[in-house]
Amino acid sequence: MSQPNAAAPPAARLPTSERVLNAYVIAVLVFLALPVFIVVPLAFSDDVSLSFPPRGFSLRWFANILERPEFGRAFALSAAIAIFATIVALTAGTLAALGLVRHRFPGRDATVTFFMTPLIFPAIVLGAALALMLSPLGLLRSFWGLALAHVVLTFPYVLRTALATLSEIDRALAEAAYTLGANRWKTFRHVTLPLMRPGLLAGATFALIVSFDEFTISMFLVGPGMMTLPLEMYNYAEFSLDPTIAAISTILLIITSVAIIVIEKLVGLGKQFS
Amino acid sequence: MIKANPSDAVGVDLRDVQKWYGSVLAVRGVSLAIAPGEMVCLLGPSGCGKTTTLRMIAGLEKPDAGDIRIGDTLVNAVSPWKRNIGMVFQNYALFPHMTVHENVAFGLTMRNRPAGEIRAAVEDAMAQVRLAGYGDRRPSQLSGGQRQRVALARAIVTKPNVLLLDEPLAALDKKLREQMQVEIRQLQRAVGITTVFVTHDQEEALTLADRIVVMEEGQIVQIGSPADVYERPKSRFVSDFIGFTNAVGGKVVSVTGTTARIETASGHSLDIPGAEGVAAGDEVDLVVRPEKVAIDPPEGSGCVVVEGDLVHTVYSGAVTYFHVDIGRGAILIAMAPNAHGAASALPTSGARLRLGLTPDTVLVFPRRG
Repeated sequence: MSQPNAAAPPAARLPTSERVLNAYVIAVLVFLALPVFIVVPLAFSDDVSLSFPPRGFSLRWFANILERPEFGRAFALSAAIAIFATIVALTAGTLAALGLVRHRFPGRDATVTFFMTPLIFPAIVLGAALALMLSPLGLLRSFWGLALAHVVLTFPYVLRTALATLSEIDRALAEAAYTLGANRWKTFRHVTLPLMRPGLLAGATFALIVSFDEFTISMFLVGPGMMTLPLEMYNYAEFSLDPTIAAISTILLIITSVAIIVIEKLVGLGKQFS
Repeated sequence: MIKANPSDAVGVDLRDVQKWYGSVLAVRGVSLAIAPGEMVCLLGPSGCGKTTTLRMIAGLEKPDAGDIRIGDTLVNAVSPWKRNIGMVFQNYALFPHMTVHENVAFGLTMRNRPAGEIRAAVEDAMAQVRLAGYGDRRPSQLSGGQRQRVALARAIVTKPNVLLLDEPLAALDKKLREQMQVEIRQLQRAVGITTVFVTHDQEEALTLADRIVVMEEGQIVQIGSPADVYERPKSRFVSDFIGFTNAVGGKVVSVTGTTARIETASGHSLDIPGAEGVAAGDEVDLVVRPEKVAIDPPEGSGCVVVEGDLVHTVYSGAVTYFHVDIGRGAILIAMAPNAHGAASALPTSGARLRLGLTPDTVLVFPRRG
């Protein structure tokens, strides 16, 4: 304070501790992402076996996907199931969150825990249990059986983000809407839902990815002609370990990245209330 | 200019209203008639039931017993969105995802009014709270005082029957609070709307209200004009709450008519007129406002003179408080304005002071058990 030049420009160099931290963060990011992105160069390899580094350049593995109709069918099924499960889980999760956050009742915490169990239970147990339950209902190896199983699986993801978002919303906002003449539905439609939107979109993104990616539980429920993409890829890889798998993975990576960028641009997850 | 037709203004009537929270009776039979166009303040410490009472008028809480009428309509079972009320919440509860204009327009939009009418009414209300031109901002881009004004505009733009304010100024700093008190009062007068507001700040209540309703533990303990409540609190609780900081113990020696002769703990004998509800032998508290205690009164001024040693001085800017031991450890606080600004001329601890008490400024309450 006593020095006249207290307001001198800050030093251009970061302190050592911060540079170490930055290097560490970059290392972690590379470590996490590298195995994922390594499939991209492999997809364009001319080599018949899936080995690194790739040799040559070829698009024939992408052509191979198109030549095999089972991949297209599996993609369509996985997409349909993911979309169906997400819509149902989003609706149910939003309603459940409204009831759980806005009302206090005995057994409330136990109910939350119960809804979260699909996250905690080993997937293999859940898959076996669902197979045992869906079989007598005649839903085993059917679209609806698989779709229901994915609703169970994705519901906790949506509920968790919906609960977190909703409990951050001041109750007085809904009450203010009531006093301004909005009934419950209009209040939900014009106040609560718009404020929940970022959380619901995050939950829906999770749900889509979890459902699309699901392997263990689906394994118990699929059958001939009713195969999800991850299982179809696994089946293929069992017999031929060529870069076709890498090509499919590359397509999935692109779709996921585009989806996340679009959502980020549309709603600006988290930037909503700056 | 939003202005209710005076004949449109309706009253609010509460009769024996009760509210339970679990096994706690939060509001214990409140009865209160609020005249059309009146501004009534519910005053009390936190937990006295004032906010619950306000929320029951709003319809955000349902009374467990009793009747609430807005105008001639019994509203016990009427949803808040059908009551045609306006409410300002403690933290304003502005919708963060809407612009200021959309916030103010919300009530009219919900009433399906034509767009042109909404725009005109919103601009009118915004001008009335001196926020014209702020319509495109987000609530997060406004200062506390501006948010407060948006909340007010949003509440009055629908021309509600009743305006309800829940601690509307608690979140503002002192200067802004005083400014907003004046603005709210002017706005309420201009609009002519029946208004109920809740506060724990006695100064706010005195400044704003036509009538003050003091509540304690779920009950109304006094209803009166600000001057009434300020000058003649009915109980020790009210006197405490309204800022009577002096309390000297005593015992009633005799009662003649309504005048009680009291022997104080400090060994003085005082005849206090208008002492109700006390009998000879009762233990009582004598309370008096510090500003009613004269310092060094001239001879023959008709007040009772007590003498004591100055034990403590509190300088607080505009005024100074003198804590004087008037005998046997009983402390009487006197207040004097710092008219001459000479802090160095203040008496110092240990000085002998003469204090004058005017009997009709002294209130007598039975000792609280």
